[in-house]
Amino acid sequence: MFYWSLKTLFSEPMRLIASALAVAMSFVLVIFFSAVFEGESDQMVAYLEKMDADIWVMQKGVSNMHMASSMVWDWKVDKIARIPGVQKVKAILYLNGPVKIGGKDWFSYILGIKPEHQGAGPWAMAQGNALPGIGEAVIPEVISQLVGVKIGDEITMIDRSLRIVGLTKGTFSMASSVVFVSHHDLGDLLEGKDQYSYIMVNVEPGVSIADLIEKIKYEVDKVNVLTNDEFISSDWQLAVQMGAEIVRIMTILSTILAALIVAFTTYSLIARKRRELAIAKALGFRNRQIYGAALGQSIIITGFGLLLALFISFTVLAWLPRIIPQINLAIRLHQFIPLAVAALPVVILATLGAVRTVAKVDPMTVFRN
Amino acid sequence: MFKFIYRQLSYERPRTALTCVAIAGALAVILLLEGFQSGLLLQLKSVALNRGADLIVAQRGVSNFIASRSRLPQLSREKIEAINGVVVAHPITMVPVIYEKQGYRKSPVFFVVYDTRGGGGPSRIKTGKTASKPREIVIDESLAVLYDLNVGDAFIVADFEFRISAIAERASALFTAFAFIDYDDMIDFFFDSDLVGDINNLPLLSYLLVVLEPGADKGAIAKTIEEVESAADAFEPEQLAQNDVALGHTLFGPVMNVLIAAGYIVSLLVIGMIMFASVHARLRSLGVLKALGFSNRALIKGLLAESTIMILLSFPLAICFALLVARIIEASVPLYLVSITELVPMLRTFLAALVLGVLGAYLPYRLIARLDPAVVFRS
Repeated sequence: MFYWSLKTLFSEPMRLIASALAVAMSFVLVIFFSAVFEGESDQMVAYLEKMDADIWVMQKGVSNMHMASSMVWDWKVDKIARIPGVQKVKAILYLNGPVKIGGKDWFSYILGIKPEHQGAGPWAMAQGNALPGIGEAVIPEVISQLVGVKIGDEITMIDRSLRIVGLTKGTFSMASSVVFVSHHDLGDLLEGKDQYSYIMVNVEPGVSIADLIEKIKYEVDKVNVLTNDEFISSDWQLAVQMGAEIVRIMTILSTILAALIVAFTTYSLIARKRRELAIAKALGFRNRQIYGAALGQSIIITGFGLLLALFISFTVLAWLPRIIPQINLAIRLHQFIPLAVAALPVVILATLGAVRTVAKVDPMTVFRN
Repeated sequence: MFKFIYRQLSYERPRTALTCVAIAGALAVILLLEGFQSGLLLQLKSVALNRGADLIVAQRGVSNFIASRSRLPQLSREKIEAINGVVVAHPITMVPVIYEKQGYRKSPVFFVVYDTRGGGGPSRIKTGKTASKPREIVIDESLAVLYDLNVGDAFIVADFEFRISAIAERASALFTAFAFIDYDDMIDFFFDSDLVGDINNLPLLSYLLVVLEPGADKGAIAKTIEEVESAADAFEPEQLAQNDVALGHTLFGPVMNVLIAAGYIVSLLVIGMIMFASVHARLRSLGVLKALGFSNRALIKGLLAESTIMILLSFPLAICFALLVARIIEASVPLYLVSITELVPMLRTFLAALVLGVLGAYLPYRLIARLDPAVVFRS
């Protein structure tokens, strides 16, 4: 029966390919949404991760960067730097809002950097200087590609023009592209030249991060102190609500669609083979064997679809960001697991639904016909 | 031929129904993606338009109402109200805060601070009444649903306790819920909470909502405002709404467009494959028709008609699916507006489905053309 099952399935290769492609396409849609969600989610906290700080210090009552406003006096940076156990500190002034680049507003994390805190600046450059001076800005390379601006062109930050001096890599995200400006310019805009927003602390080897957090809280008033993981997790929670959640909803919906397509393909395939299955029953095969054969065919089609989806995802989809640079895609194997898990019961149910009528058939009717 | 198509479709009703449901599902995904995009833009557009002003004054250089930090000088209100033709200039301040509640996720919230005796407050109240007593707050329905809050409940931000006086309808944009409070409460909030900490530049006045005398020339008064207050720019609400929509396009347009494009390509490929598989499965009966004298052209015409009928049957079902899912999303996460019934995206989806349905029916043309009627009789 198993041999028959394989033989009939491969006797119509065009149908097999069409059915598997339909399944694969619906799977690819799910993988695409899932990859966008994970890619964007990763990118939203890219800056925080790249800073590689052990501890983040910010204004009391603030526990994230996204949609937040934090201001702490600059002397607090010096005070923290003097605490035993602190290896180094760097600090940034921060504002989130639109920056006009190439005639378009780009919602951005605007970071004001001082030369002595250059480590808080860009971590990968495509072109130009990494440290913006007064009246200068360093923007993501992706934005420059999208709107055609280049080094030397001007951008507008609220009420002032800044000249582009550098293009960064890995700083573009749907919810928060990172634009670096001088601390002087941002401080002037925010009327906070003697303030910072976030202080990044690195701990000396052998010093407990938890102990140092307690020391900072004790020594410096009106600040919130978080470990790197706490801060990133807190920021990710908020940032992901800024649009990535829609992608997550669409991933769930497209999984339902994929299940529907799998059900349709499986049902169609088996329904077409009812006559052959009925003959097999008349020839003495038991219901269990008939169900097994039909299920085998359905699983092969779905498995084939899943393999095709894997191939398309890791080739065509992975290549997509090269032509659409604003998309952050993270295609990972684990994204296929829920698909396979969701597809399996659907395959079983649809196959059983289609074969059920055959199982009820009286073999004699085949001969009478 | 139509009778044949009708018989063909009604011969295997469960299969026809399942095909319709599968096609409708694929189309519903596109409609939902389009609906998300339309909804996001509608929400952005309504923020400035719902403030009830003839002109909106912002900090010079700021050209958006949402997602911008605007700070106006305290005395600008007085200067602007002195201009001929201006009835009143209501102050409004936008303060971003983070709302947290034990056992729930945290959310960004925009405090819209307004004069409760003036304008700029919530445009639609679902339950309760606008704030009239100290520490009263009106929250958007998305916060009420997400955090299980009702009128009369406490709403605590940074250890400062507000009391919910009303739940507002559709008061959110850019994935952020709005909460409306009075100016006195804002000052108390800044000083009672630790937020004021090191800030020497409290956001006290973000925008002015200017109401003009009937018949006043908006353009001329906007120009006068910019002359009188050099630190400010004056906009008609429609202009600011347009700028916010443009910001929305820049912010999530690229990603949404790619998602929508992917939805179109994949869903329509699925439709094409379904149509192809359906035709391929019937090659034998098509061979019989060919043996009976039907030309290739007639057979293709029949398949095209069948494909069009399938799309026509599936599309209303797709709208129903999309509307149902949109209602479920809006009820469970009211932060999102999923606008399915926008005419242009709907027509676009319908036309694309028709085109792909037709292409799907054309795909097996070579199979039909090469089909030898004699094979039918031999088998």
